[in-house]
Amino acid sequence: MTRQCQQLNLPDRTHTLFKWLAVVGGASFVLGLLFAPERAWSSFLLVNVGLLGMGLGALLFIAFQYVCGAHWAVAIRRVPEAMCGILPWAAAGILFTLVAGKSLYPWTTEHAVGMKGIILDYSFVVARAVIFLGLWLWLARAIVNRSRLQDRTANAALSASNKRLSAVFLVVFGLTFWMACFDWVMSLEPEWYSTMYGVYHFSGAFLGALAAMTILAVWLQHAGPLRDVLTHEHLHDLGKMLFGFSTFWMYIWFSEYMLIWYANFPEETGHFLRRQAGAWGPVFIANMCVTWLIPFFVLLPRPVKRSPGMLVKVSCLILVGRWLDLYLLIYPSTVGSESVTFGIWELGMAVGAPGLFMLIFVRRFRSAAPIPISDPMLEASLHHHQ
Amino acid sequence: MAGSKTKYVGDRRFLLAVFTSEADILAATTDARERGLTIADVYTPYAVHGLDKAMALRPSRLPWVCFALGLAGAGFKVWFEFWTSASDWPINVGGKPWNSLPAFVPVTFEVMVLFAALSTVAAFLLGRRLLPGRRAKLASPGVTDNEFALVIEETDASFCKDEVSARFREMGATSVEERVEQESI
Repeated sequence: MTRQCQQLNLPDRTHTLFKWLAVVGGASFVLGLLFAPERAWSSFLLVNVGLLGMGLGALLFIAFQYVCGAHWAVAIRRVPEAMCGILPWAAAGILFTLVAGKSLYPWTTEHAVGMKGIILDYSFVVARAVIFLGLWLWLARAIVNRSRLQDRTANAALSASNKRLSAVFLVVFGLTFWMACFDWVMSLEPEWYSTMYGVYHFSGAFLGALAAMTILAVWLQHAGPLRDVLTHEHLHDLGKMLFGFSTFWMYIWFSEYMLIWYANFPEETGHFLRRQAGAWGPVFIANMCVTWLIPFFVLLPRPVKRSPGMLVKVSCLILVGRWLDLYLLIYPSTVGSESVTFGIWELGMAVGAPGLFMLIFVRRFRSAAPIPISDPMLEASLHHHQ
Repeated sequence: MAGSKTKYVGDRRFLLAVFTSEADILAATTDARERGLTIADVYTPYAVHGLDKAMALRPSRLPWVCFALGLAGAGFKVWFEFWTSASDWPINVGGKPWNSLPAFVPVTFEVMVLFAALSTVAAFLLGRRLLPGRRAKLASPGVTDNEFALVIEETDASFCKDEVSARFREMGATSVEERVEQESI
């Protein structure tokens, strides 16, 4: 079956806007390195962890769909596939931080002892990062390429092959992602540890990717490529996932917090004391309200989950929450917990990241058919209903 | 019949059409609604996707019960935990304050889910009068197996039984019959 689908035509104005945002982000980083290197590197790490989470979350979404044999999201699969395009850039950013910005990590100057010393050995950390990022990039490339190849060959065996690769990715992700989060973010406070840290990052990354996917899908529906493709039924499912994973994030957040609060060990509570007491208190509360409390009550009624306008608003709020969450995880550890540091460098990179993301997304999205035209489950997906 | 509890009101007449496929029952239901017939109910062996739309059913009000009772359960549990551990019999646990909210959260969550779930089931059973001892009234024995039954109520004086029956047969009904129910108050 062939379907006429319109490719994305981006107005020059929008393209210029994305370019300028990316330039502002890049300039904030370079100038920040000169005037406030610690803040520049912290913000750079924040942005790259965030973008990496977007790409990995999108790949997870694709992998879940393949492994479950779910058909509903097949028609909009090109959106998460194009989101994976950010992965090489974010991976490069992470490696660059580990190499050039290693002053962020206290363990590079003051070596930890015992087992922690072995784990936080500089060359070992970098080697692990290369392996993790390499595995993710390779699997992302393999899965997306097979999906695109299917457009031309209409070979159903490619779906089966992607199903296997997706299962491999889910296992690889489960085994590596938590270690990556320990290495790149938790080790900013080397004396502190939490076994919930990896799943906490996963819940946030996946939620952020879902929010971005919802916004992009609605945007692409207005812009043309997903017109007559994306229906209220698809939105309803995306809305349900947003609702579910927003709540999952809060659940994991609380699971980590409560155990540390209950046990009250001095070496564990420091992390939360630095964030909930004093200057960072309001940010700490705002993070919960923006990422869970407001989305939870707004997304409860059925009509909201089927309304593109409302879903986009909630998704934007969740993306702000994603930034706040990473800001809270990184800044009090690196820049200091005495006062909330926010200024031109943070703002510049916070708007620059979406600009860069969109430039890459648009390029990737336009390089393939807007829907997987030869996927055996496409028809079922187009006629999906609740 | 003064003094008696029941009063004869009149007969309610129904037309029962039995179909053997999901597609047929969906088409026949949509057709009946579009022609302005009063759909009393549709009986199917399993939940048929899109039947609610075909019958033009109102959205269920059960979510409201779920939401209200969930909130009530959560509120009650926070109050109860505060009352037991901070007010009526203050207990020192690990030197924590008596009214330690984080410690209340897991139980509050569980009680919220319990209240919301049980009250939704209870509201459904009460709303449908599905109380213990209620005897099943099957429109047709086949609806628990492989048949789909559409029941039309003859509310209109202009209702033409033969015409409607013929229409249903045309749409794949294997049998169409009339049922009369004596209405009492």
